[in-house]
Order: sequence, then structure tokens, then C-alpha cells
Amino acid sequence: MSEAPASSALGDVRPWRASRIIQYVLLQALLSALCVLGLMQSLPAPPAEYRLTAFRLTEGGSERAVTLPQFTAPRYAIEESPRFAAQFVRPAAEARRLWSVFLPRFTNGVEVSVNGVVIHDSRRDPAANRPDRNTPQIADIPAPLLRDGVNDLSIRLFVWGPIPGFLDRVWVGPDEVLRPYYDRRTLLFVTLPVVFSAWQAILAVILGIMWLMRRHEPAYGVLAAAMATGFFQALLQTPMIETPFSRLSAVVIASAPLEGALVLTFTLLLAGWKWQRWWLVLFVPSLLLTLGGLIGGQPAARALFPFVGLPMVGLSLLIVAFVSGRSALREHNVASFLLGCAVTIMLTCWIVDLLSVFQIVNNRIFTGRLSYSAILVAIGAGLTWRFARALNQVDGFAGRLVAQVREAEEKLKESFAREEERARAAALARERARLMRDLHDGLGGQLVSIVALSERGNAAAGIGEAARAALKDLRLVIDSMDDIGGDLMLALGSWRERATAQLRPHGIALDWQIASTQGLPVHPELRPWHVIQIVRILDEALTNAVKHAQATRITVRIETVPGAEGPAHGCITVADDGRGFELAADGGGTAGSKTARGLRNMQNRAARCGAELGLSSGAAGTQVKLVLPHRFPDSDTATS
Amino acid sequence: MNASTSETPAQATTILLVEDDAPTSWRLQDALSNAGYQVRAAGTLGEARAALAESAPKVLLTDLQLPDGHGVELIRETRARFPDTEIMVISILGDEESVISAITVGATGYLLKDAFPTDIAATVRDLVAGHSPISASIARFIVRRTQSTAEPPPGPPLNTTKLTPREIDILWGIAKGFSYAEIAGHLGLSRQTVPGHIKSIYRKLEVHTRGEAVFEAVQQGLIKL
Repeated sequence: MSEAPASSALGDVRPWRASRIIQYVLLQALLSALCVLGLMQSLPAPPAEYRLTAFRLTEGGSERAVTLPQFTAPRYAIEESPRFAAQFVRPAAEARRLWSVFLPRFTNGVEVSVNGVVIHDSRRDPAANRPDRNTPQIADIPAPLLRDGVNDLSIRLFVWGPIPGFLDRVWVGPDEVLRPYYDRRTLLFVTLPVVFSAWQAILAVILGIMWLMRRHEPAYGVLAAAMATGFFQALLQTPMIETPFSRLSAVVIASAPLEGALVLTFTLLLAGWKWQRWWLVLFVPSLLLTLGGLIGGQPAARALFPFVGLPMVGLSLLIVAFVSGRSALREHNVASFLLGCAVTIMLTCWIVDLLSVFQIVNNRIFTGRLSYSAILVAIGAGLTWRFARALNQVDGFAGRLVAQVREAEEKLKESFAREEERARAAALARERARLMRDLHDGLGGQLVSIVALSERGNAAAGIGEAARAALKDLRLVIDSMDDIGGDLMLALGSWRERATAQLRPHGIALDWQIASTQGLPVHPELRPWHVIQIVRILDEALTNAVKHAQATRITVRIETVPGAEGPAHGCITVADDGRGFELAADGGGTAGSKTARGLRNMQNRAARCGAELGLSSGAAGTQVKLVLPHRFPDSDTATS
Repeated sequence: MNASTSETPAQATTILLVEDDAPTSWRLQDALSNAGYQVRAAGTLGEARAALAESAPKVLLTDLQLPDGHGVELIRETRARFPDTEIMVISILGDEESVISAITVGATGYLLKDAFPTDIAATVRDLVAGHSPISASIARFIVRRTQSTAEPPPGPPLNTTKLTPREIDILWGIAKGFSYAEIAGHLGLSRQTVPGHIKSIYRKLEVHTRGEAVFEAVQQGLIKL
């Protein structure tokens, strides 16, 4: 079997690769040889003086002398079961000791009679009626049955297939001599498989849970299925009579090809192959066997097994050996390498078993199943170990990740603080720039004007006016810096105070009308520089009314105008009852270049806030209408 | 509001004016004297204390930045010794920083340094009559302090817990530029009671003693016991 990977891979392979293959094959051959050597070691046997080998075999009505071990046909009707008869001598000196009959190996069942009295039937022992187990039997001979001297021993061998019947040598002697040998075999061929079965069941549960939690790793699930199948297969006993469950039992007992297919699938997955739908072909033999067993019952399952089950098991083993060998060589996959070695051992045992079945080897100790269980358990343990190690790695990784995340968090916090600081500094710089501009626009000009007036020496009233205007502007700038939460009404409240104070000496009345209950809509996006522009527009309108219109009453009307579509917007109207002025074609006034400049300024400021400024003037007075936008612009985009 | 001060007999009203800038002091003295008030002027904290030692004025007008100390000290002392004296702070800008800090130690009004002479006299007369002046920006500052915020807002500390909802409504009206008549109309009050409410608001914002200051600090969670 070990030649398979070598022959297929040799063709296209470089020399170093060929040498690796040869090494691998030699290693497998050595393992195989060691295995055969081990299997050739016969188990310790009781003293030869109690051994019986010469029997008379009654089979199909004829009687002949045979020497045990003896093979028979693969199948007999119960009533036609062959009978082996012999005589043994129980010395009179041994009368006080308990004597037993020890049958180390038989297939499939035995009924032991001493002096014509049946003392034992192995078919009642669930472990003993399975042809694939090497279950020994020991039968105590009741003392009254035994005679001093020659006694008769008769063994009926029940054979129900699928393999030929077999009866190993028989020992009759003192129980205390024979029992240790029986116990040793029981330990090896009964207890150990049970231990393996239990182990398999536990691993099936663990691997099944792993697979449930990690669906993307089907290898665990497949192996769990293989283990579960093995466990149930070992649990059941061969049904002696036909019942509804007996068919199911037969199917389960004949599930070896299913296990083979599962283990093969697992190997392919372990070697890194992706599941392909055509792999279902692997399960066809087991399906055939299952159908046969369910329809035809136990005999059909038995009849099919040698033709379907055995080749499938062998084929599976061969492919597993090939695949794992290839994977071990190509990908240096340690798991595949170990699996390859294990399969070599298993395959060797299986071949030896086959030789025994075909009576080429004069022995019937089956080791294939035992080696399979042992190896499956080893694989399961290995996988569990790998899983635990992966968990440890994950823990370590998680630990590193936590540390890294903390580190990154610290860095982020630092950079965020830096960024915040920078943003704050930038905002401060912007605010300072705005403040400088506002102060320059208002206060600066007024102070320069004060300087100019004071140098003329004779215009004290002018100085006072300019200084007052400067102070007013200073208050405006300071006031505009306050956060008013987007409520322009709060800014207008302060403006009303200043306007009232400004108008009082001129004897002009300020009529303050708030047309809608809430006044103006709240604009969360309102910034100090918007406020300052709006208030300066109103100031300019007021100043024009005082200086040029000779008004007696100024009306400020504040209202919220519902929008045709979309949200409502604010509107502030400053109207006087003065004499008005003529508007030029470009919208500027003609009343004087200073007024014209003032009007242009108002237009500019309105544009910067996204507001519309409407001017109308006539004999009845001047009206400045400021329509506020739905939303104030974020940045000062308009050129000023 | 073009008040004719001669209508009101103001001879009995004595005013102590504490202002270190001489031209400003002259200007205020002129405006008040012309209205018939009896004005004594002091340029420093020391002079002011000396003047107070002689007799209690009906009205104290004081600047905050004085050469030998802070006007707040003077306001506190005067408030403690002469509870009947009306106190006003003289401010250049009428900004909340100076006005509020004066109110918390006992001032009940403020006067702008550049106000027109008639307005100066009218403001003092109103104050004596029990009507405290308040600006929209001061009202705005106070009502904003009544709104609970996570972080203490910038500016001088202020305890607004004693203000009634009605008083807060009045402050809102002032902050939004409504006249006293309009506020009275909205709130269903008599127009004459509004200035009195404002004086009451000022009185409630005052921190009287050290013990009270501690109590209020605890109330506001500034001090944890």
C-alpha cells in the first residue's frame, strides 16, 4: 500500500523530492514490518498438559478426526452445527479443585457440554457473539459432573457468517491455572475495546460540540460522526432472533464501510481539500449495505458485507494512506504524517485479518478493529489538544489585542486631545480675526474720526457723537460674542435698548412691533458674525433715518413669514416717517454719496448672511426690509 | 422718558459717587447736581470709606476698578452697614461680568458711564423709587443661569435657585427686548409692578453672608460635604 504515493508522484518530481518519498515509503514499510512482527508474537498460553487439540468433528452427519485450530464452512443451520468431541482426564488428586473449560477463540458461538450436560452457551454473552471480537470464554465445570479419570467434552460450534467458523485449541484444567490466561485475553479483547468505545463516545460528543460551534470546520463534525458510528457499532450485540430492531442492529454492526467513508472524508478535509459533492460516492457502499440490511434483514447484511463492506474498508484505508502521505510530503503537514503512519499500521492489521479470514494464516486474532479504535482515539485526542492549543493562542492573541487596543486608544486619545487643542486654537484664531475685523470696521473708524475731530479743535459735539458711536459699537461687538443659542430675538433685545438710548436725545419714538408671538424663528446655525452683520444693518438703517430723513417715528417690525414651501423665515422691517430719498437705478440712494455708500454696505452685509435687503423710499418715508434666510450660511463666502 | 427731574424734589437725596477718573466723575456729578441731588465725590476706596464714616448716603454710585481696591468690597461693606442705602455700579459697558458681581454683593442697579445726563438722573430717581434698571444682556445672562447645564457656564458664579417662574418669565421678556408694558400684558401683571420685580430679582441674587454663601454653594453642588 505504501507504494501508492510513490508511484504516482515519481514521474514529475525532482530528485530531492524523490528521496523524500523513498524515505517516507521506507518508514511506512518498517512500521508495517514491525507491526507484522508484533502480530506474530503469540499470546501466552496455559500449560500444554491441559491442552486439547485432537477432536472428533461431527459435521453434516459424518464424523472425522481433526486437530485444532480448525476452520469450518462460513455458515450452518443451527441444528446442523458442527460438533467437536474429545476426552480429557481429570486425575483423582484434582477432585478437590475447581476445573474449567477455557476457549480462547472461536467463531461465532459455542455450546460446551461435559459428560453430556451443557455447562455453557456463549451466545448469551453479548461480547462473545460478535465475529469481529476475539472474546475468550471460560466455563466452570460443576464438580458433580466430573468423574475421576476420563471425561467427555463436547463443543458445538455455531457459525452464522459472514466469515468461516473457527475453533482454536481448548484447555481443560484447574480453574486457578486457566483463569489468569482468560483474564488476560478478556482484558485485551473485551475490556480494552469497551474503554476505547467509551473514549470514542466522549470524543464524539466533544468533537460534535466543536463542530456545532465552528461550522466552517466540518472535519470535526465528520470525525465526530465516525466516532459515534463506531461507538454504536460496538454497543450492539448480534441479534440471535428476528425482531424489528434486529435489522437495525445488523445494519449498525455492518457499518464499517460508513466509518471508512467518514474517516476518508475526514482525512481529505484534514489534508486541506474542500468538500465536493461527488464525495458522496464514498457513502454508496454503506448505503447499499444499509438498504440490504433493512430490506433483507440480517442474512442479507451478512451476505453483502464481504463484497461491499470489506472492499470499501480496504479502499478507504488505501486512499487515506495515499492522501495523508501526499499531504505529509507536499505540505509537511505533521498531522497528516502521523495519520499516514497510523493508517499504515491499521492497514497492516487489516491485511493480516483478511489473511486469517481466508485461512491463509492459521490463527484468528483480529487486530484491525482494535487498532482502528486506538488510532481513532489518538486522533480525537490530538484534535482536542490542537483545539485547546488554538484556544490558548486565541487567548494570547486576545491579550495582545487588548494591549494593542489600549495602546491605540491612548494614542487616539492623545491625538484627539491634540486635535481638539488645535481645533480650539484655530477657532480662537478665527474668532480673533473676526473680532479684529469687526473692531476695525466700527470702533477703529470711529476712533480715527475722534482723533481727526479733536485735531480740528472746534468740533466738540462731533467728538462726542463719534465717541458715543464707538462705545455703542464696542458694546455691540461684546454683545455679539455672547452665545444666544440661535435666538436672534435676544440680540434684538439688546439692540432695542441701545436704539432707544440713541433715539431719545433726537426726540424720535421707537415703535417696536413683534408681529408673531415667538418673534423670529430660532436658527441653531446662527453665529456671532451673522448677528453682528444683522445688527449693523439695523444700526445703519436707524442712523440713516436719524441723520437724513428727519423722521419723528421709527417702526421696527419683527415677524415670522410662513414660507410658500419649506420652513418659515424671519423678516425685520425698519420704517421711518421721514422725507425719504430717491433710489438710483442700481438700488443705491442719490441722497448723497455717504448714504449711497451706507446702502451699499447694508446690501453687502445682508448678502454675507444670506439675507435679502429690500429698500423702498418715498414721500411717506423709507422702509428697509431685511428678509432672513431659512438657514444662515456656514462661512463668510460673499466678498465684502 | 425724557424726564424732567425738577418735578421731583431731590434735595433730600444724598449721593456718594466713587469714581477715580476725574472727567467721568465731573460729568456724573454735573448730571446729578443739575437734577438737584446732593453729591459727594470720592476718587479712591479710602476716600469713600471716610465719606461713609461721616454719614450714610441715600445712594452709592461706585466704579469697580479703583486705585486702592475693588468696588465690590465697598458695596459689600455699605450693604452691611447701611441696608437702606441704594447701591449702583458704574460700568463702562454694562457687561454681565461687572454688573453681576456687583449684584451678588448687594448692588441693585448699574449706570453706564456714557449715558446721557438726563438718563443718569432718571436712572437714579427710578432706583430711589424702588425701580431697578436691567439690560437685555444682563437679563439674558441671569435666565441662562436658570437653565441647568452640565458644565458651569463662564462668567461670575450666580445662584438663581430662589427665582420664581414668574420672575424668570419677566427676565426672558426683557432679554428678548419686550417693554415692561408688553411683559406686564403677556404675564397679566400691572405695568408698575414689573420694576419692583426686578429689584426683587436683584435682592434674591445677592449672597448675604459667608454662611449663606457656603449654604448656597452646597445647594448648587459646588461644595461636597
